[in-house]
Amino acid sequence: MGRLFLWRLLRTALAVWALASGVFLLSHLEGDTAVELAQPDLAELRTTGRASTLAARQTLDLATRHRLGLDIPLFYVGTHRPTSATAGQWHWNGLPNQYHRWLVGLLQGEFGTSYRTGESVGSRLLQALLFTLPLTGTAATLAVLLALVLAQRLAARPGWHRPVRGALVALQALPLFVIALGLLLFFANPAMLVWFPSYGLDQAVDAEMGVGEQLPFYLWHMTLPVAALTLSALPELTLQLTAALEQELGAGYATTARAKGLAERAVIRHHALRNALLPSLAQLAELLPALVAGAVVVEVAFALPGMGRLLAEAAAARDFPVLVGGVLLIGAARLLALLLTDLLSLWADPRIRWQR
Amino acid sequence: MYRVRQNFLAGARLCLAIALLLQGCTAKRRAEAPIKIRWAHDPENLDPMVMANQTAIDAINLLNCSLLQADFTTNQFAPALAEALPTVQLFGDSLMRLQYTIRPEAAWDTGRPVLATDVAFTLKLMFCPGLPNAGPGGQYRFIREVLIDPRNPRRFSFVCTSQAVEYVQASGDFFILPEAALDPKGELRAFSLAALQQRPASAPPNAVLEALSRRYAAAAPGQTPARLPGCGPYQLVKWEKDRYLRFARKPHWWADRVPHRPFVLQARPAQLEYAIIPDAATASLALQRGDIDVFPQMPTREFTRLRKAPATRANLNFYTTASYDVVTVGFNTRRPALSDALTRQALGRCFDAAGILQGSELGEGQRTVGLLNPADRLNYNDSLAPVPFDPAGAVALLRRAGWQRGATTEAGWRRNSSQGPQQLRLVMRYRTDEQLFATIALQFQAAAASIGVPVSLQPTESGAFSMALRNGEFDVYVRALRGNPFMFNFTPFLHSQAIGAGNNTGFSTPESDQLIAAIAAANTAPRRAQLLRRFQGLMQQEMPLLPLFFLSNHIAAQKRLTGLHPTSLKPGFAAMAIGEAAAPPTAP
Repeated sequence: MGRLFLWRLLRTALAVWALASGVFLLSHLEGDTAVELAQPDLAELRTTGRASTLAARQTLDLATRHRLGLDIPLFYVGTHRPTSATAGQWHWNGLPNQYHRWLVGLLQGEFGTSYRTGESVGSRLLQALLFTLPLTGTAATLAVLLALVLAQRLAARPGWHRPVRGALVALQALPLFVIALGLLLFFANPAMLVWFPSYGLDQAVDAEMGVGEQLPFYLWHMTLPVAALTLSALPELTLQLTAALEQELGAGYATTARAKGLAERAVIRHHALRNALLPSLAQLAELLPALVAGAVVVEVAFALPGMGRLLAEAAAARDFPVLVGGVLLIGAARLLALLLTDLLSLWADPRIRWQR
Repeated sequence: MYRVRQNFLAGARLCLAIALLLQGCTAKRRAEAPIKIRWAHDPENLDPMVMANQTAIDAINLLNCSLLQADFTTNQFAPALAEALPTVQLFGDSLMRLQYTIRPEAAWDTGRPVLATDVAFTLKLMFCPGLPNAGPGGQYRFIREVLIDPRNPRRFSFVCTSQAVEYVQASGDFFILPEAALDPKGELRAFSLAALQQRPASAPPNAVLEALSRRYAAAAPGQTPARLPGCGPYQLVKWEKDRYLRFARKPHWWADRVPHRPFVLQARPAQLEYAIIPDAATASLALQRGDIDVFPQMPTREFTRLRKAPATRANLNFYTTASYDVVTVGFNTRRPALSDALTRQALGRCFDAAGILQGSELGEGQRTVGLLNPADRLNYNDSLAPVPFDPAGAVALLRRAGWQRGATTEAGWRRNSSQGPQQLRLVMRYRTDEQLFATIALQFQAAAASIGVPVSLQPTESGAFSMALRNGEFDVYVRALRGNPFMFNFTPFLHSQAIGAGNNTGFSTPESDQLIAAIAAANTAPRRAQLLRRFQGLMQQEMPLLPLFFLSNHIAAQKRLTGLHPTSLKPGFAAMAIGEAAAPPTAP
């Protein structure tokens, strides 16, 4: 079992490396766009701020490429190089290439530096994660706990199960930005209720106050974003688990349990729930990478500085080091989540066996 | 029942306690609150050599000073570090000498005076290899030499390679950096400005320049501006990425000693905080609640809604100014079907600029005949009329251009030319992140379809749009060009030399090239105005670009704020001049 786990872990690490390498190579094929976006904006009609001739433009391109580290070949092999007379022919570029430089840096724990800001990518990602993880982690935990409670109640088909199901289906149909803006307009709007702040974490959260004073501020600011994320994740988890529970409650062993005189709640909790959890575990595998990836919609709506916004802006600006670093983290989280799901599935149903 | 009531009362007490606690904290915060201004995005990089975006320029402007700065009360450059506007001396037919004297009060935070050597050092820094100086390096190449007065270390002259009148103001529009912070031994003084400008990229590495480049990289002014402190009125106190930047007024800024301090040297707020709120709806809520004080560049619809609502009218002031951002359509003149002016003129008549302005911008904005703002009365050619929306006229123009309409609607327009048969079928690109462009594209598509010209729309992501324009992968595009009242050099985007660089339309004629060169070299304002008027006429006739209208700039601010000085210049108001009206006395 231990050996199998290690083998799976190794496969996961290889898959993360392959994924990050793929993203690195594919994104860097768009190096020209990164060079273009790193130069003064063409829509800005400055006095004489731009290269006004083709030759000047080429010089500027060359200097920008050099600054971004895009002036060396992309990979160990390639079809063209500047000094080569015959383009289209495969040849060996040697070790000084962009991929090799990135890989060596990665092995030393360096993610590179951002094209836009010149900051270390590692510290920027860490900074964003410190905001994202409490937000998404709290929302995911709340969503899972609420789904567990709600699904067990709904599976027992009380009188109110139809309207609640209907509400959950309606909630699932709503895009996240509608939920986020709806919460803002209801609970942070002077025209309605002014219970919560309208945007992110303002400076009060950083003020030189004790933890006891800061905590209420922090919770106050995080309530609406966490609520938006929880409400968006809740319906899918609840409806899936409810359906699975209902199916299990129709099985023979549930009928036997009832015949023994067990109450419906006990049948659900002690017999049906564990069997019904298997499909929900697969949903958790989806939820976990989202913890790291952040929720760009909520971060934008509530002006929160998280991974979602960081990566969306990096993609728009072709800031490849930040983008590839983020993909590496999210990819690792996703593959580890799959591994974790497999382990949880083993726990939920010991009849499941791992195969090589 | 009793237990439920007890629980309810306990819960209510807890809520009340939390509410009182938050209320107390909020009240405490308000008393010390800085003036809060909304930004849509983080400036990302505060390097004065990079000036990555408008928010970065606004922030750098608080930290640094230049010789001349834009005066928002007059929309003209006014002396800041310099005592006065430069004196101009012309030599021969191409050289110009601009003499400046730095104010005697001007000093760095260390107390060291700002000297001509700092100005020369900053200019040389723009051409040092290994620095992120591509932007200013291209901009200030016209200054060939800095001559420092041996009798007065605060007096110097720029020797310029052109007598263009716009260089007089442009020569003072860059932030001066402290030589002592980066080059304490003055090693860069051994290099002349011209030598650095002419230094080829393939030149062997120089130890002095490499050491300077390393020191600049170590200072990392883009992220830690305090390591390269400027002589501006504010210092960066805190920068939380994607959240806020807070600036505090220097307690002893050098300009405080300037007698009769001019507007450009005013710095009234003790603290300024820029809150990064990407979503406009969220920012609007924050403004209505008083969480932020100023909301510049407010979307037109939200601005109009708030201005009409009685509740917000009581608490907020609303300002509208004309901006220098012009929504422009471009035609790819390299395409055979669009290579003649008549066809472009015909297609230009399919844009309902007035209708779009009314529908999308609620009538706010100003139609224009060219790239110059109608507010610029000297240079704007008011004898021309804006291109009308006239599909019938477009059909007549297409026929004059040699196009013949097919028998059926699907057949479209065809013509025979020396390059073979042509069909008028267009691809229009616009950026996906701006609803206005989509509206314009859809209106054009419908109008063109009504006269039998098929147009396929290609909404394009921002980065891909830039590349498509650069590579000429479009027939027609629409976008906004961000101008300013000081820009009269059209070489980078309409001259034949710039085809493949910034001239995306590929347009050029010998006449337009000559006119652009003459405007750039004009050494008097009246002469330049005469040429600019001719240029606008020529552009309307040739129509490689069709400027539709200038957008408006909307600002909403709390009523207690005074002295915003709304202006057409970016960022649209004077943050450093903002004051607060005294609170009305409270009833005893």
